Amino acid sequence: MNDNNKSLLAAPAVVAPSELAAALAPPASKGHFDELRGPPGQGQSQSQSQGQGQSQSQESASGAPGAIAREWTTFFNFLGSDGFHDLNHRTANLRRQIKDNGVTYNVYADANGPQRPWSLDLFPLIISADDWAGIATGIQQRTRLLNQVMADVYGPQTLLSQGLLPAALVQGHPGYLRAMHGTQPSGGMFLHIAAFDMARGPDGKWWVVSQRTQAPSGLGYLLENRLSISLQFPEAFRGMGVTRLADSYKALVDSMKALSPVTDSAVNSRIVLLTPGPYNETYFEHAYLARYLGLTLVEGSDLLVRGERLYLKTLQGLEPVHGLLKRLDDEFLDPLELRSDSTLGVPGLLQVIRAGNLQVANAPGSAFLESSAMLGFLPALSRRLLGEELRLPSLSTWWCGEQAVMQDMLPQLKNCVIKPTYPGTGMASVIGHTLSQRALDEWAGRILRHGEDYTVQAYLPLSQTPTWHGEKIAPRSAMLRVFALPDGHGSWRVLPGGLARLAGKNENIASMQRGGSSADVWALGSFQAAPELLESTSAHAPDTQPIAAPLMANSSRKQPVTSRAAESLFWLGRYTERAENSLRLSQLTLQSLAGDDAASKPLLAWLTEVAVSNALVSSSVPAASHAPQARRVFERALIASLADVEGNASVGFNLRALKSAASAVRERLSQEQWHVIVQMEHDFFKRCEIFKPPLDASQSAPDYSALDALRALESASGYLAAITGAQTDRMMRDDGWRLLSMGRHIERLATLSGALAWGFETRAVYDDGGFSAIVALFDSTITFHAQYQQRRDLPALLDLLVLDRDNPRSLSWVIETLQGRLARLATNTSSQDANLAADLPADLPALMASAQDLTSVFEQCQASAFTLSDNISRRYFSHASGANHSLGT
Amino acid sequence: MLLHLTHETRYRYSPQVESAHHVVHLKPTGSAHQTVLRHTLDIMPRPAEQHEAHDVYGNSRTFFSFDGSHDGLRVVADSIIETHTQHHADKALPGSTPWERVREQFRYRAGADYNSAWEFLFASPYVPRHDAFTEFARPSFTAGHPLLEATNDLMARIHNAMVYDGDSTDVSTPALVALRQGKGVCQDFAHIMVACCRAMGLPARYVSGYMLTQPPPGQPRLIGCDASHAWASVYCPDVLDGGAGSDGHWLDFDPTNNRMPGEDYVTLATGRDFLDVSPLRGVIRGGSQHILDVAVTVTPIDAMPELAPGPD
Repeated sequence: MNDNNKSLLAAPAVVAPSELAAALAPPASKGHFDELRGPPGQGQSQSQSQGQGQSQSQESASGAPGAIAREWTTFFNFLGSDGFHDLNHRTANLRRQIKDNGVTYNVYADANGPQRPWSLDLFPLIISADDWAGIATGIQQRTRLLNQVMADVYGPQTLLSQGLLPAALVQGHPGYLRAMHGTQPSGGMFLHIAAFDMARGPDGKWWVVSQRTQAPSGLGYLLENRLSISLQFPEAFRGMGVTRLADSYKALVDSMKALSPVTDSAVNSRIVLLTPGPYNETYFEHAYLARYLGLTLVEGSDLLVRGERLYLKTLQGLEPVHGLLKRLDDEFLDPLELRSDSTLGVPGLLQVIRAGNLQVANAPGSAFLESSAMLGFLPALSRRLLGEELRLPSLSTWWCGEQAVMQDMLPQLKNCVIKPTYPGTGMASVIGHTLSQRALDEWAGRILRHGEDYTVQAYLPLSQTPTWHGEKIAPRSAMLRVFALPDGHGSWRVLPGGLARLAGKNENIASMQRGGSSADVWALGSFQAAPELLESTSAHAPDTQPIAAPLMANSSRKQPVTSRAAESLFWLGRYTERAENSLRLSQLTLQSLAGDDAASKPLLAWLTEVAVSNALVSSSVPAASHAPQARRVFERALIASLADVEGNASVGFNLRALKSAASAVRERLSQEQWHVIVQMEHDFFKRCEIFKPPLDASQSAPDYSALDALRALESASGYLAAITGAQTDRMMRDDGWRLLSMGRHIERLATLSGALAWGFETRAVYDDGGFSAIVALFDSTITFHAQYQQRRDLPALLDLLVLDRDNPRSLSWVIETLQGRLARLATNTSSQDANLAADLPADLPALMASAQDLTSVFEQCQASAFTLSDNISRRYFSHASGANHSLGT
Repeated sequence: MLLHLTHETRYRYSPQVESAHHVVHLKPTGSAHQTVLRHTLDIMPRPAEQHEAHDVYGNSRTFFSFDGSHDGLRVVADSIIETHTQHHADKALPGSTPWERVREQFRYRAGADYNSAWEFLFASPYVPRHDAFTEFARPSFTAGHPLLEATNDLMARIHNAMVYDGDSTDVSTPALVALRQGKGVCQDFAHIMVACCRAMGLPARYVSGYMLTQPPPGQPRLIGCDASHAWASVYCPDVLDGGAGSDGHWLDFDPTNNRMPGEDYVTLATGRDFLDVSPLRGVIRGGSQHILDVAVTVTPIDAMPELAPGPD
């Protein structure tokens, strides 16, 4: 087959692209619907003329099975023969783009777990206009229904009292929140966002398999998928009438604003996006969505409740919040009334919601709707609540908590899937026909004992959609997740697209956590442009431009800087500077030790002290001295510590801390900046792998080559230059940036004044080698030479490194900059507090003139930097600090 | 019987607490068996805000919060309650319904009858479902055994199997741990009884309250030496005027004392388990170290104290 494929690819001119595709694609597995070829007996229809290639034949050259479906024919004809030959290249482009954009999915929810690049297939899942129309009306109806079920359960509970819904699926479900009983959200809108997982059966019909309402994920990933894939197939995307997504997102935010309880009409309603934080598996998407929707990304600790109202803690003080788009599971929302061990929520939040002072998407308490068991009851609920039959069927589903149903299902387990009724049991779905008779009997026993715990669903072989694998097309089982969002008029519309999840080879379960992939979803509109209209593309705005711009124009207000973001930015600044200083100091030390002509005693003493005080080597390492042996020991210790993040706070530690601080404010950084940060850390640790100590004695110790170490440092230094450049040139100069800048200057003041103090203490300033090294640490070698030529006297050194107000690394310049930033920040935040700048030495020349010795002057400078840092934390970040504890009697 | 209750809770914090949110269940609810003649709730320092609301079970709860720093908290609930008839201790036990009939009533069928007791059928945070409870309960629930005899038997067996030990558990000890170690406090006794009933498919709930203790003969009543108490309540369709608060049909059992509550008991709140009705919950910022003191006094009185504020 492979050889055959290659020969086909090599002779493209004679066959139409769609035929080429047919020849390269084996049919879907038996029993699965073939997306590429459509239902048996169809395909190869008259509508093929829509594409570019017109050559048609019933039998393709290789005699591959059945011709391909209309939509795919169009797709491949737009792709063209040349495009076909370009698919591998496009795949590589796609991979690179995902990596560059930093699209990730945290497989395990912890700091050290792998962050896997998002997996996205090249081909979209294409849904015909007819099919999509059916899905859209069916999903819209289901969302209306689920919303009404929720309104009833938290209101009159007629469904329970009439026996239409078992109490086991409401009061027996951990997602039913008693604290929300009797609460009606404004507009009656409990569900702003509902996600539905769908599958296409062997007969080509679409079925609903499950629904997600608590905090459904996918709205960000699917946008990113759309951006990536529409770029790979621009002609087909424009020509096939793929419906755009932006309007749906805008309606979501508009609707939340319209429904949110703003008491003062002059005030714009503020909607924030609540995330569990960077360790959540879908954190990428939270940051991405916040940026796209123009919402402030917040964690629970950014919010507080006062007087039954919710506030955001910002540098400017408390700002009211009127709407919450939450990506946090309900149980964590309020440690006062829900899980008391939750550190992710906001104490008192449920009181705010009950008082009607906050619109939450979705209203807490919807999780019981997510149970698979619910599917079996929906047809009757639809008749009762809507007076309508369900337009879109769910997969046949039986809840085994009803004795008669359970008895019926026990003999049929082999042909079904067994699912847990309730979340949190750790049970995964079980496919009956994969089980041995003994295992089936064991399951029957469990169901007999605790039927209510289990829900049995008909087994449906998933439809298989084409994916590109190097030289051929491979069919993969697919699940489709679609989203209902508010239409802005009290009802819902279905986002025209979705997230397709693809199973691995030979699997029928599509799950990102099980290593599956995803695909863009092209919902075709009823209109399909003729190829000649393709030129007029200017009318189409790109789908993935943030919709924040128009939203922001309405509010004409700057995004607030949350106290937590401010703190992270401050530390991002400090770690950036610390990384830079430790890098330069490591370079300087290695270069000084490496030279054949032995470095001077004062220089070695200075290097030792500064390296120890900056945690580049531990204080137990013998000082570098004249003896070559001792120099080598010191050098090895320094190299071994470069990437050691446990014992020392050397370069690697600082780079990692920089990345961690940046990840907490990722929504404020450009993709490029984030990408450089990730690359830098990755590159440095990779280069330092050769310095890892051997795991056991049998292996030889690493070489600790100074040359290799210098190369690693030089590479990191290049990245770091790009990062500091972006910080200086490419960030909005708001108060958050001011704190970042202050973090850098405080760190600079502390390090440089400390190094100067040691310079006097070790008398390195009086030594030629020491003198040059200190000037180099201040990154001022070139300036020094230009201004003072070959002079090496102390006044010149002090002039340039301490007093010069034009040298951005002189202490005076650093102090002056800090004073300026502090003043501006105090004005912006109407700070009534004492002047924080008072901590800084006001008049360095006078101080130096009056001091007994200069060492103490510089030690005083260093101490003032640390005092200022503490005072900034107290003044600006106190909201962000301090943990909540729960009490109970 | 006229009873005067004081329930004082004190926290001392170190370092100071910067802000705090609390919710308390400290106000007894009126019912067929008790009338609340007076109730006051004193909170020191004075909260930034405070409001009272009913929870989903009809219990009264009070939310309050502090915006500013404080180094302690003192909450005193003071109530005068008139308890009316004894719960059931003196009556002939009604009903001979076999326990299985009740279990059948709470098995779902399409269109099945529903009542509010369904709420108390399922596992809850402090009363998880576990085979150990089923195994423990089963000997009391033999075929055709009348419900009340079965539950009385269960109460006696819990009382005999468990040792009361005030040091053995704290408020967060799960019922299963207490059952396995064979000792606990009244809260554990109550949770175990509730769990056993639910394991047999019978609705059961948790009651928090107080009981009047008798000082040793010849000795004065000591102030503050009493404690909050807890017991279980079981759904019993034969009872028409059962326990406090709800729609009847409930009978109370106190497995700690192996008796049914009488006039000397006051119901504070009813829920699925302790977590629904804990007397005081809070989330504080700061105050990583704290010291807690709780003092409860139950005193029988002859008449309403003079100069007392009118009924709440």
